[in-house]
Amino acid sequence: MIKHYIKVAFRNLAQQKVLTGINTFGLSVGIACFSLFLLYAVHEFSYDRFHTNADRIYRIVEWWQGEGREPGGAGGAYTPVAEAMKRDFPDVEYAVRLKGAGCLMKADNKVFHTSITYADTPFFHVFTFPLVYGSTRTALQHPNQVVVTKEKALQLYGTVNAVGRILQIKTDSAFEPYTISGVAENIPANSSVKFDLLCSFERIINHPEVQQSNKDWYMTIGMEAFVQLKPGSRLAYEQNRLDLFRKKYYPEDQRPRKKGRKAIKKEPEIQTSFRLQPIRDIHTNPQIEGGIDPKNIWLLITIAGAVLLIACINFTTLAIGRSAGRAKEIGVRKVMGSRRAQLIGQFLAESLLLSVASAITGLILAYTLLPLFNQLADRKLSFSPSRFPELPWLLMGLIILVALLAGSYPALVLSSFKPIEVLKQKIRVGGANLFTRSLVTLQFVLSIGLIISTIIILQQLSYIRSKNIGFNKENVVMINAEGIDSKKIYPLFKEAIQSHTGIVSVTASEMGLGSGEGQMGWGFTDYLGKVKGVIAYPGDYNFLNTMSMQLVAGRNFDPAIASDSMGAVIVNEAMVQQILGTTNEKSLGKQIKNAKGDAAPKTIIGVSRNFNFEDLTHTVRPQMFYRPAILQPSRIFVRLQAGDPRRQLALLDASWKKLVPDAPFEYHFLDEKFDNFYKNEKRWSAIAGWAGGISIFLACLGLFGLAALAAVNRTKEIGIRKVMGATVTNVVALLSKEFIKLIAIALVIASPLAWYVMHDWLQAYAWRINITWWVFAVTGLFALFVAVTTVSVQAVKAALSNPVKALRTE
Amino acid sequence: MIKIRDLEKIYRTEEVETVALNKISIDVKEGEFVAIMGPSGCGKSTLLNILGLLDDPDNGSFLFNNIEVAHFNERKRAELRKHNIGFVFQSFNLIDELTVFENVELPLIYTGVKSGERKKRVEEVLDKMQIMHRRNHYPQQLSGGQQQRVAVARAVVNNPKLILADEPTGNLDSSNGNEVMTLLTDLNEQGTTIIMVTHSEHDARYSHRIIRMLDGQTVLENIMV
Repeated sequence: MIKHYIKVAFRNLAQQKVLTGINTFGLSVGIACFSLFLLYAVHEFSYDRFHTNADRIYRIVEWWQGEGREPGGAGGAYTPVAEAMKRDFPDVEYAVRLKGAGCLMKADNKVFHTSITYADTPFFHVFTFPLVYGSTRTALQHPNQVVVTKEKALQLYGTVNAVGRILQIKTDSAFEPYTISGVAENIPANSSVKFDLLCSFERIINHPEVQQSNKDWYMTIGMEAFVQLKPGSRLAYEQNRLDLFRKKYYPEDQRPRKKGRKAIKKEPEIQTSFRLQPIRDIHTNPQIEGGIDPKNIWLLITIAGAVLLIACINFTTLAIGRSAGRAKEIGVRKVMGSRRAQLIGQFLAESLLLSVASAITGLILAYTLLPLFNQLADRKLSFSPSRFPELPWLLMGLIILVALLAGSYPALVLSSFKPIEVLKQKIRVGGANLFTRSLVTLQFVLSIGLIISTIIILQQLSYIRSKNIGFNKENVVMINAEGIDSKKIYPLFKEAIQSHTGIVSVTASEMGLGSGEGQMGWGFTDYLGKVKGVIAYPGDYNFLNTMSMQLVAGRNFDPAIASDSMGAVIVNEAMVQQILGTTNEKSLGKQIKNAKGDAAPKTIIGVSRNFNFEDLTHTVRPQMFYRPAILQPSRIFVRLQAGDPRRQLALLDASWKKLVPDAPFEYHFLDEKFDNFYKNEKRWSAIAGWAGGISIFLACLGLFGLAALAAVNRTKEIGIRKVMGATVTNVVALLSKEFIKLIAIALVIASPLAWYVMHDWLQAYAWRINITWWVFAVTGLFALFVAVTTVSVQAVKAALSNPVKALRTE
Repeated sequence: MIKIRDLEKIYRTEEVETVALNKISIDVKEGEFVAIMGPSGCGKSTLLNILGLLDDPDNGSFLFNNIEVAHFNERKRAELRKHNIGFVFQSFNLIDELTVFENVELPLIYTGVKSGERKKRVEEVLDKMQIMHRRNHYPQQLSGGQQQRVAVARAVVNNPKLILADEPTGNLDSSNGNEVMTLLTDLNEQGTTIIMVTHSEHDARYSHRIIRMLDGQTVLENIMV
């Protein structure tokens, strides 16, 4: 019986080549799209699960909550906290601190910029990063040992077994030798903990900054800390124990607020606590900095589901559409004794066959498109069943689901025909009934919604790219000066290049600007008595000038005034308002002191206009610029004359090589660094754009098939109308009218839905566009145009056919 | 074999009520060849559909082999139908996607006959109908006469006790029509009961008895000599 079903299914599909083609191709595209997004989702949700003890590993996070503030936290840990937890809680089996830093690395006389991670010795007890060579017990035993990844070993030496080799690493002023003690398997793409070079924390324990942070429980040096709890420990869920711990080491948290006379605005109280975040939660918890919003993953799956649904709807509508041609077959089968269940089985077998065929094509398509998708999604995904054991099951489930989704309605409808009625041709099936019309409308609701969303995302992106962010980021080259003796090199480099034509200005700062650059903050007590973070930019005298940042009060730094490098600061408007609670003019000359009170007080000499140093989802936070007595820049900024920068870049490269032959000349354009803030948005607009394009394409494919069927089913009517004098235009209008109505309805449904979703999305931006009506109008017209063109191809064909022939076939 | 009494079938639309069968009573004995004749709309086809268990009557009794089937549900009717009744239609009603062999095989599939046995039986009947050489062709590739021979082959492959033929020669020329009528007569001589609806006096002459209908009732019966 099954053989019979499959045989008949094959013949039926083969006979209707165009419709089968449309169905298979549409479903393949839908399945390809869905499986890529499924892979992405599985990857995102699989982060950090590969550690053997993943259920006992937690990251120490600092958590803030209070009125008027979204609760949230950050993973940056204070240096002494991890050890204190290990000491105070018997539940803690191991505590590991991780501190990353940029460095220069020399191997075989080649110099590279890279990063090094310092970790406490139980690192390999906690995390599962197997070593290909070397032993996890001894690899971090001595401070001069370093573990590299397989990838790094290959890059450096062309061989994986690099144990015993000596690597020169420069973190401060000179290259120092490290012995490679182990080679680790490459870090899985779904790991939150990553390293290129791994070294013992002992190596930096005597570094002045680390020593200071070990004493100062408020000082952060960009460190993360993890604990592994003993089996059965509930410490992560016993918040009261963690709160007592916090109280013990941070008694200042409990200090009451000052009631100053200037307390005009009522500031809400913020409570700070420590929490233990499960390692598997790190990647997908948006409440803690760095975590992505799983809502976005679900949104992606929904978009992919919508595309797949459109493809399934094509299958259903076309199957119902061609049921007219199959009514006789069903009637005969019933007369011959087929039961309804057998007919349902037959139609489902057909749709299963089609969905298996489409799935195979779809998966080949997905496999082919994976590199492109990886680029789009900024991931390194692969269809690896060993890494994602659930993937084969999900895909198999998907095939069955698609078969059921696409096949069940036609199966139920067709099998319910009364044999005598279909044989007597009393039932007129096929074409557009209410159900198929609703499905076509749904397809266009989804397509139009996706296209509207894409346009709005693109508008917002173009708006934030073109928005004046308070300084001129164009034509500025930012050079990486990490790992060199920059306090000596910078003045020499500046001297060497600044007189050349094409170089407008040169400055430097100890902090970078743009995406991926760290921020340094100081705690300042605001006028209400609360400690607030202020972002600090220790830079050269001409930093503001070079960046074209404007002063709204006071003056700029002046090298001729000695005190300017002793304790002068320029603050931004946000700092004046939020920390000082005064006006720009009144703030001039004021002395400010950091909250800890361990730095010399600084005098405000100027107020700069707010500039967006973060992405535009944030409002501008308090900020200050100062000229340190000894400037040790990590970034050198060179403003070039507008135009082709190649000549100037060659000059910078040559001058750099002359001064620092052992460090590579590494630079970024500042506008690109700022553009990178919106990588996610760009990704989303690309994804929504593709999904919108594919969905409208699939919807039109279905429409094409439906129009073809409508033309066939109405052959006799068209023939009679033509005999009666209908023109080609009349016939085209007759066939198109129906579909145009559906698209108009789809536009009416999709517009408010898309408006609602995109309005919600825009709320995340402190600066955003207004959604305009013409977006909906343009999308609607576009959808109409595409649909009418599609339908017309069929309609014109039908209209041009010879009416006599049409009537004879009846 | 068939005993119907006071059978009624009424078609209702919103405005019109059409009495297709009006308290009709007929008996057909096993081994008979009965022709039903009458003008268009007299209820011949409705009667045939009810006799073939494709449709159910509104009132009256229908004994099939002494079993009351008038109010059988669809499932029971299908079960009885597939084991006992074969159909031959005016428009052949072959499935275009299936070959001659497969069309004939279809009833055997639905009665659950094993594949080896099916092959044997289909080949036997195709041979008998002299269309064995066309076994792998599709219906569109055959002449009308050949198509009807396939339809007859399909109707008899299950060895039904009763064959219902609805104007079996209606779409055929006279020589093909005669061939089909000869086939039916042969089957009848081998013991199969045949009830045939026809407009053709010529075809009706092949039968043992002609039932003439008008407005849903039998008006005359001719016994053929």
